[in-house]
Amino acid sequence: MSYSLATLWYERQRYLPGVLAVGFSALLIGLQCGLLLGLFSITSMPIDNSKADVWMGAPGVLSVDLGRPIRESYISRMAAQPEIERCEIFLQGFAYWSKKDGGTELCLVVGSRLSDDSLGVNPRLTAEDRLRLTEPGTVIIDESDKDRLGVKALYDVAEVSGVRVRVVGFTTGLKSLAGPYVFCSVATARPLQRLHPEQATYVLGKCKNPEDAAQVVERLRAEYDNISAFTKTEFSLHSRLHWVMKTKAGVALGYAAALGLLVGAVVTSQTLYAATAASLREFAVLRALGIPRWRMAVLVMNQAFWIGALGITLALPATYGLAAVADRLGVQILLPWWLLCGAACVTLIMALGSGLMALRSLRDVEPATLLR
Amino acid sequence: MHDDVITLKGEHLSRSFGEGDKRTTAVDNVSVDLTAGQMALLMGPSGSGKSTLLAILSGLLHPDSGRVLALDQDIWAMSESQREQFRLQHCGFIFQGYNLFSALTARQQLELVVRWGEGASRREARRRADEVLSLLDMGRRADMRPGQLSGGEKQRVAIGRALIKDPQLIFADEPTSALDWAHGEDVIKLLRNAAHDRGATVLIVAHDARIVPFADRVFYLEDGRMVEDDDSPHGPNPPARLHLHRSPAH
Repeated sequence: MSYSLATLWYERQRYLPGVLAVGFSALLIGLQCGLLLGLFSITSMPIDNSKADVWMGAPGVLSVDLGRPIRESYISRMAAQPEIERCEIFLQGFAYWSKKDGGTELCLVVGSRLSDDSLGVNPRLTAEDRLRLTEPGTVIIDESDKDRLGVKALYDVAEVSGVRVRVVGFTTGLKSLAGPYVFCSVATARPLQRLHPEQATYVLGKCKNPEDAAQVVERLRAEYDNISAFTKTEFSLHSRLHWVMKTKAGVALGYAAALGLLVGAVVTSQTLYAATAASLREFAVLRALGIPRWRMAVLVMNQAFWIGALGITLALPATYGLAAVADRLGVQILLPWWLLCGAACVTLIMALGSGLMALRSLRDVEPATLLR
Repeated sequence: MHDDVITLKGEHLSRSFGEGDKRTTAVDNVSVDLTAGQMALLMGPSGSGKSTLLAILSGLLHPDSGRVLALDQDIWAMSESQREQFRLQHCGFIFQGYNLFSALTARQQLELVVRWGEGASRREARRRADEVLSLLDMGRRADMRPGQLSGGEKQRVAIGRALIKDPQLIFADEPTSALDWAHGEDVIKLLRNAAHDRGATVLIVAHDARIVPFADRVFYLEDGRMVEDDDSPHGPNPPARLHLHRSPAH
């Protein structure tokens, strides 16, 4: 066992606050980022739930719910790609829902093909739901949005963008963020979104081999400058990040994460400083024996690394545990591997930075002080 | 025989502390020379400047004037890093407290010196540490941490830490002050063996006059000045001057 690890283990009571502080930092960063990702995954839900590998929309599209109209005929561009197995149009956009008893509510109209093999249809819509939606002017909303949209029962009517719609079903568990989801057919969605008959918001494509999606996207981008193209994963992240930034949630996240890191850095630095200061006489003997100061600095940095690594190791199961608890409470926390790796890296860098700060205690190592 | 080879020579060494009216002279124009294979004892009352003289001779404290020739090299004409390198290659230190890392075993305390100092491999460091610990009769205590060792054993480990580099110059500051005489005597014998068997030059600073019979040479310092230099203290009685000034036995 290395000297730094041996010291950490033997004097674990002394180093425990540092390890816990690092763990706390990693936990805070991981959970907060995961919470935001989870929150904004509501935005990217239509992408994540689709069977499409490639999404094509208007140029510079910021998020899936902020798509602008494109020509339906662009579907031929997607269809022309040799890797594409099949493709279809998809409509999504904000509209005003006028309640029966007065008042309006912003809603998000989602219009997709309704067949069994539809790429864009939400999988929570049952076969029966999809059959009902084939009737023009029918929509389905989520149970949780009934009050918000002033819907009391099945077959209630309302107006969207001045067009009369009838509610023919309810989904469950589909959370909304900016406005309730309103599902319908492509034909119903067009007037609700004030689109012309030859317009759509997106063209979705399914690859014969999903691994080819990036290649298709690259080619579409190169060939056409009046569209934007994304793989499913890219577009999902792109949409979520847009909302993280637009709502300033990213700034809030940055502040909270910086605060967590600061707490971790101060506690870790002080722990290491105190531990090093407590061994000044021992270090002074080594200095007298001619051991260079950098060797002791490496020891302190080693300890900082192990404090970081141990803290992260503790934080990992705690993060998963708390995410599971949050999930039971209905709050989704997404913890993709890259997020956890990022949180671990930032925390480890913080721990090493704390080690660097603690190195100042080594300046006091003076062998002559041992001679009284 | 090593007796005629001068390994450590201090010439007209002086060192003061403080400024203006509060300035005190700790070492005042002291000259001294020590030879290989010799265990020298530097005695004097508290505040006499003996620890300061040891620090100057060992390259830990810069003198105001004078020079120190250690193994024919003027150590105070060297750069800081050269002096550090010199100490690494040639000097061993034993201090009043044991100053051992509480988390490390006796073996690790010794290994650390050669691994960090000489870049020795883990295996080589372990072999040398075990060898020195065996010589100090500490072989069976090699895996113990300081908290599990007696005061005498801890001082043996501290001596082992000084000896593992096989230094030509060994400096010890009050190495027996925290020990009862039985253990203190052991420590002094070990240091004398280092001088006589290994040919090292050993300089001990101490209060305890019971060490005198073991020393090859005794210096007496008072108010920063060398007042006695007895190079034949092997008889049963220490010099009369030492009787007058010695500290009470521990």
